[in-house]
Amino acid sequence: MAMFPVQGIVEGDFVVVLVTPDDTDPMTAVAQAIAHHGIGTRVAAQDRPLKVRYQGRILDDDATIAGSGIAPMEVLEVVHA
Amino acid sequence: MPRLARSEWYDLTRDMNWDLTYATEEEVFPELLSNGFGVPTHDWWTWDEPYKITYAEYVHNQAGKDAGLFSVNNVVGRSKIFENLDPGWLAAVTAHYGAIAVAEYQAGIGEARMARFGRAAAWRNMATYGALDETRHGQLQTYFPYQALNKEPRLDWAHKAYHTNEWGIIASRHLFDDMFTANDAVSMAIQLTFTFETGFTNLQFLGMAADAMKIGDIDFGSLIPSIQTDEARHAQQGEPTLKILVAAGKKDIAQALFDKMFWRAWKVFALLTGLSMDYYTPLAHRTHSFKEFMEEFINTQFIDQFRDFGLEPPWYWDRLHNEMSWVHHAYHLGVYFWRPTVWWNPVAGVGPEERAWLEEKYPGWNDSFGTYWDQMGANIRAGHPELTLPETFPVVCNSCQLPVCTPAGYAAGYLDSPLPLQLTVDGRLYTFCSEPCQWVFEQTPEQFAGHTSIIDRLLGGVIQPPTIPGALAYMGLSPEECGQDGTDYDWAHATAPVTAGPAASGAA
Repeated sequence: MAMFPVQGIVEGDFVVVLVTPDDTDPMTAVAQAIAHHGIGTRVAAQDRPLKVRYQGRILDDDATIAGSGIAPMEVLEVVHA
Repeated sequence: MPRLARSEWYDLTRDMNWDLTYATEEEVFPELLSNGFGVPTHDWWTWDEPYKITYAEYVHNQAGKDAGLFSVNNVVGRSKIFENLDPGWLAAVTAHYGAIAVAEYQAGIGEARMARFGRAAAWRNMATYGALDETRHGQLQTYFPYQALNKEPRLDWAHKAYHTNEWGIIASRHLFDDMFTANDAVSMAIQLTFTFETGFTNLQFLGMAADAMKIGDIDFGSLIPSIQTDEARHAQQGEPTLKILVAAGKKDIAQALFDKMFWRAWKVFALLTGLSMDYYTPLAHRTHSFKEFMEEFINTQFIDQFRDFGLEPPWYWDRLHNEMSWVHHAYHLGVYFWRPTVWWNPVAGVGPEERAWLEEKYPGWNDSFGTYWDQMGANIRAGHPELTLPETFPVVCNSCQLPVCTPAGYAAGYLDSPLPLQLTVDGRLYTFCSEPCQWVFEQTPEQFAGHTSIIDRLLGGVIQPPTIPGALAYMGLSPEECGQDGTDYDWAHATAPVTAGPAASGAA
């Protein structure tokens, strides 16, 4: 378990932000960690679950960073399902 | 005592070239300091500046300008003019001094390099005046804010900013080191005096001076034209240098030098001038939107001048036009949201009347950029201003060093993807905000690869602790110096949401 820096984009937000989840966090937690910096601050909240998109594909909720082949500082998008 | 007419001695004193016999060309003009790009020595001797001046005339003119300028400054210092400035204009002026004053002094280093390593005597003569000019500008733009320190302590950043690692200053240094502090004389004539001074700052200074006078800031409104008249003169070093390169068949080199620096200058110009023109200048005193200014004065008039030399608009022309509609709106959002990281107090500039103006000038602004301000306004009205402040950092581009705002371009309908560009070089991952920024990097990767962005420094353990307070301390910002909302959130309470109206976060 280690801090793992990634670049996060919240769907509809204006900027790419630095987020440092743990590499063993499931994607539900990663999505929340990224969304925390955009949803409710600059982007209105929606009543829909959040998903993580990496290189164009949606990752499973229980997938981890370590198990998804993501490299440090690669870009993860948080989108509404 | 007989006196010669000016025309009888002027050319002899301004342009006395000679063939080298005791030293080689390379010894006198090392490529690192004066890249001749293979143009024959005697071709350089045809260098001819359009506006000529003698040293006696220079001193006379400058003394007159300084006498008038310091008189104004003295009178203003005893008045209440400064205290009554609009908070938006105060933000623009405070940002300007920090970003420009010491950079002007550094430009004096660049001019001095051309005064020694310019490849014609007439050029070296002109650059000597340029070095004196830029030294003057550095001194004026630290002295004027110094005189107002008792009214606005943040003006201390006129001198302090360039000695810190504040993120905007890292971006400025990255640009200006490339443009002049670490540039060779020939490239500098194209990139500093032609591309940046003729293309951007001359026009910007004229506009700012006019705005300052309308606003009632006669101090700044007198200072800027006094500087601009110097700039207009020494900026002429670019044109004859460009002509010689083109005549010698080096058009491609001139084009590449221009293309690189025009893009680099655009990014910082969008940050500093874009915010100033479209958000900080009081609405009643705005003459052009930033986009209109770019289209009329830079993309039309300046580029027409560029075409006269047989050169073409840069390859990224479409992307430049694209960004003119959105990138500075994104930068403004970023500066406002990360306001503790700047030395001035940003105003939001999005009250109802300002929003109507923004919508008129940038159709669709309310439905794109307006939604972010709606959310922040709702949070402020609900008593949660802390939700308009950062808990993490924006990722910055490894070329321009500015926040990566591709998601804004995508959300507003201007880009096909919100994703930044990424490139791995020698095992290190670099992030870029745009194709031109990546292209700039790839032209000379050996020049840029070793530089660490502020995010690289955060992740590399240079910034300790790696938190917002740790980063603010690293940037030289004490709690008292961190930027705050310039109008104490007046805009949020005056704004009726134009869009659907988001719920405030944490309001329940």
